[in-house]
Amino acid sequence: MRTTLLVAAVVIGLLRAAAPVAAHHSFAAEFDASKSFKLTGVVTKVEWQNPHTIFYLDITDERTKKVTNWSFEMGSPNGLMRNGWTRNTLKIGDMVTVEGSLARDGSPYGNARTVVLNSTGKRLFAASSQTEAQ
Amino acid sequence: MSRARSLAITSAIVIAALYTAWAQGPTANRPVEPTPRFADGTPNLGRVAGEKGVWNVPYIQNMGMRIPGPDGKTAAERGSAAENGGRGGAKAEPDVPFLPWARGIYDYNSRNNSRYDPEGYCLPPGGPRLMATPYPMEIIQQPKHKRIFMVFEGATHIWREIYMDGRPHPQGDELNPTYLGHAVGHWDHDTLVVDVVGFNENTWLDYYGHPHTDLLHVVEKFTRPNKATLHYEALIDDSGAYSRPWTVAWNIPWSADGELTEYICQENNRYLLKLTDDFGQPVLGR
Repeated sequence: MRTTLLVAAVVIGLLRAAAPVAAHHSFAAEFDASKSFKLTGVVTKVEWQNPHTIFYLDITDERTKKVTNWSFEMGSPNGLMRNGWTRNTLKIGDMVTVEGSLARDGSPYGNARTVVLNSTGKRLFAASSQTEAQ
Repeated sequence: MSRARSLAITSAIVIAALYTAWAQGPTANRPVEPTPRFADGTPNLGRVAGEKGVWNVPYIQNMGMRIPGPDGKTAAERGSAAENGGRGGAKAEPDVPFLPWARGIYDYNSRNNSRYDPEGYCLPPGGPRLMATPYPMEIIQQPKHKRIFMVFEGATHIWREIYMDGRPHPQGDELNPTYLGHAVGHWDHDTLVVDVVGFNENTWLDYYGHPHTDLLHVVEKFTRPNKATLHYEALIDDSGAYSRPWTVAWNIPWSADGELTEYICQENNRYLLKLTDDFGQPVLGR
């Protein structure tokens, strides 16, 4: 029973943490929910701004060693703060792993759902606007 | 029953119960607290002195799914497969009395996934969409001044002012079309009734893209059946877009420890800078 409650508590914790969701523009017009990604790279820039915080990562292609600068959209600063972020959560030079959905236009751009800080393993929800039934 | 199976079932029940508690908001674990009231008995639709709290406006994307049926329940409450409807256009929403042009516009907005949603331009929600755009909101009653303010964190950090002094709407050209319209209110027992006219045509009724015209007349009803719940109902009366008035309704939960924060949508709206029209030309900068 103790295990049961622990499992339940973890599940609820995850749901609770993901609760507040901001909405600004159409998710589906810009991103493709069926094209999910998981990418790791080094933070080069953070725009902690409305209506969406955008951060940039240098991502190295393991095969070709070519480095591409990607950008990722998250929620607004107020939505992110309600999900446990501050303006200093991501710092230039940090190695992070991002999961989310790719842009429809094929550019190196995506909508971030979760961000993991590789140094601590801390996982944060990105206040994504992806709630629309796809 | 095996021990493992029993454990699995117990887990499922506990998770379901906790999920329900979570879904109903942070106050659901506490006993249902009664409607707060002022000394004269008028319901207090806002904070109790000395406490925190804001209304957590839900993300109501498609008002076509929020029309109460004969049983009083909306399609969303009946547990429809897709709470927001499936982007099936006007044909999928027989309860919405579209005029033909409104049907065509709605189908267009459905097909392109609300690409040209005015909220994507950082323009304010209009009409009932104020109560469907998911940012916290406060209600401040000023009985001595005969006004009620509603303050919205998003979508564009706006407020509305409802005149409770019995004045009529301005007539003719004195009624200047605006995003939020001209709102007058009165109390019908425990229900705040707000009558709104004078909307411009720069907004949509909801994220899914139900259109409206400047003939839009909205009658809103706010009740607070208990401390944790604001029930919202809006009559959408727009003979320019719909063949008869229709009503939408939903609950807005109280967030007991919430407070408003700043949200200035216009700061860095890259979506708009990149937005192109159906012919691939930039929407801005031409």
